[in-house]
Amino acid sequence: MPVEPTLHTSERPSSDAELHRRLVYGDESALAEAYTAYGGLVRRVAVRVTRSTVAAEDVAQEVFAQLWSRPYAFDAGRGSLRTWLSVLAHRRAVDWVRSEARHRKDTRADDSALHAIPDAGPGPDEAVVDRERALLLHSALAELPQSQREVVHLAYFAGRTYRQAAVELGIPEGTAKTRLRSALRRLAVSLADAPEPPEPSGSPEPPEPSEPPEPSEPPESSGPPDPAWEKGA
Amino acid sequence: MSDDHDGVPELLAAWALGALQSADERAVPPHLAECESCAAEAERLRETVRLLDGPPGAPEPPAPGTGPGGGAGPDGVVALALRARPAAPRVAAHAAPYAAAVCSLTALLREVGGHRPWGTPVVHDWDVRDTVGHLIAADEGLARGLGVRTHAPPSRITRDTGWEDAWETRTAEVIAYERTRSPDRTVAAWSAQSAALLATAEALDAGRAARVMELTGVRLPVADHFLVRAFETWIHTDDVGRALGLAVPPPPGEHLGRLVRLAVRLLGPALGPAAAPVLFAVPDAGDDARWVLGAGGEPVRGELTLRAVDFCLLVGGRHTPASVPRSATGDADAVRNVLERAASLAWL
Repeated sequence: MPVEPTLHTSERPSSDAELHRRLVYGDESALAEAYTAYGGLVRRVAVRVTRSTVAAEDVAQEVFAQLWSRPYAFDAGRGSLRTWLSVLAHRRAVDWVRSEARHRKDTRADDSALHAIPDAGPGPDEAVVDRERALLLHSALAELPQSQREVVHLAYFAGRTYRQAAVELGIPEGTAKTRLRSALRRLAVSLADAPEPPEPSGSPEPPEPSEPPEPSEPPESSGPPDPAWEKGA
Repeated sequence: MSDDHDGVPELLAAWALGALQSADERAVPPHLAECESCAAEAERLRETVRLLDGPPGAPEPPAPGTGPGGGAGPDGVVALALRARPAAPRVAAHAAPYAAAVCSLTALLREVGGHRPWGTPVVHDWDVRDTVGHLIAADEGLARGLGVRTHAPPSRITRDTGWEDAWETRTAEVIAYERTRSPDRTVAAWSAQSAALLATAEALDAGRAARVMELTGVRLPVADHFLVRAFETWIHTDDVGRALGLAVPPPPGEHLGRLVRLAVRLLGPALGPAAAPVLFAVPDAGDDARWVLGAGGEPVRGELTLRAVDFCLLVGGRHTPASVPRSATGDADAVRNVLERAASLAWL
């Protein structure tokens, strides 16, 4: 009967929106809840990138302090708190590693982290190069378009299958698969474009030790991978 | 190799990341065994993931709450975060919505600056800073009534000025004054006044807030004046949020329920005892949030249901009677009368 604007009583705020609302309105128990729910993920992301539990702890502190002190930086209408925190932790962790690398280069001090590599692992030189490549890839991951970055975070850090990630992001499964593929290809290309092209995997020779390259800014362009890629170049 | 690759290329990234559904996992390996191009891509993607993992030997993240050397528990994280932004002060229930609304606006104002300038137009002819200036003027009445020392500029309002003129004049005075100094100082003045209001005995003690005070032409208990302050602070926070492109969530449910009940208390007298009775319900403000508005002792002529936030926005002048989402049955005129009266409360 009414031709007026109708009421949708079925709309219920998501738990993220409810948590965010309490953060905005200054209820600190909401921060404790967010930490309980997502602290593990944030630390997992940070330790994967920094490879240091101490650094990961600092990153987690920073991430949750930012969630609390700048609650309006998160918009519950634009994505989940899980991916937002994961992305923020990742970015902070990449920044931490970059500044560590700069610091190391400046002081030429012992690479104390290097001594932490267990003997059973690859040789120290290879480990150094692998860590440089990892930083390069994580830098590129941090620069992916948001739509790709989110699904990579869910699949890679949060352990979601592509189908679970699709549900969580509210996108079709096919889109989730496509975004994962585009994202991973772009990461592979960023590696190939790096100043020191990697040795083909499985090379028996450890790569030459080298000066740690400055983390190159990942390409801004959203251009597709080059055609050579299709040939496995 | 089959021409369509059985959909495997689309799965390779998920496969490399270990993000396949178990059903897909059975499809990938046989195809890779017979398809060179897919095997090459698979190898390259998996190598990328391996490099993303970094060399082996990464530490495990410490378990949360294991103290020094391990992960900090929530208490440690919260304690550190509270240094960067205090929680809403603990006050009596009637003042909690105002405390929370102040906290929300304070947080929102942290986002102003850079590509979200203070000069962004908000409502009327106010920008962000002017809107904060208006709130200084609007909070001032209650602050004065509770003995809080209010700040410059002095007012040229006289005793015989009507409240509406006084309200507008005072806003104009404060906005003009605030425009002569930096937005940071405007925000600091607003923050200091609201903090002082929240530190009064009337904010902390429901008994002290029971006394009636007349402000802006309305006689209400001080407790209700705190709710009016919460209401207006939230509505203008929402205005600023819209102007800046930042979504402002509505107040927490319990606070919203208090605002709804206050508005209904004011709506009854505004409708008068002769209005056609309408059953008015706000289901998300609680099961008891149902009232018969208008003439008592007569059969209800219509039924109107609104969401709490929409009812508040209508009373706050941010919805119109025509635009507010509603569910209505029965006498359309009776229902329209309620909507129009609610909109005409126009406190803000």
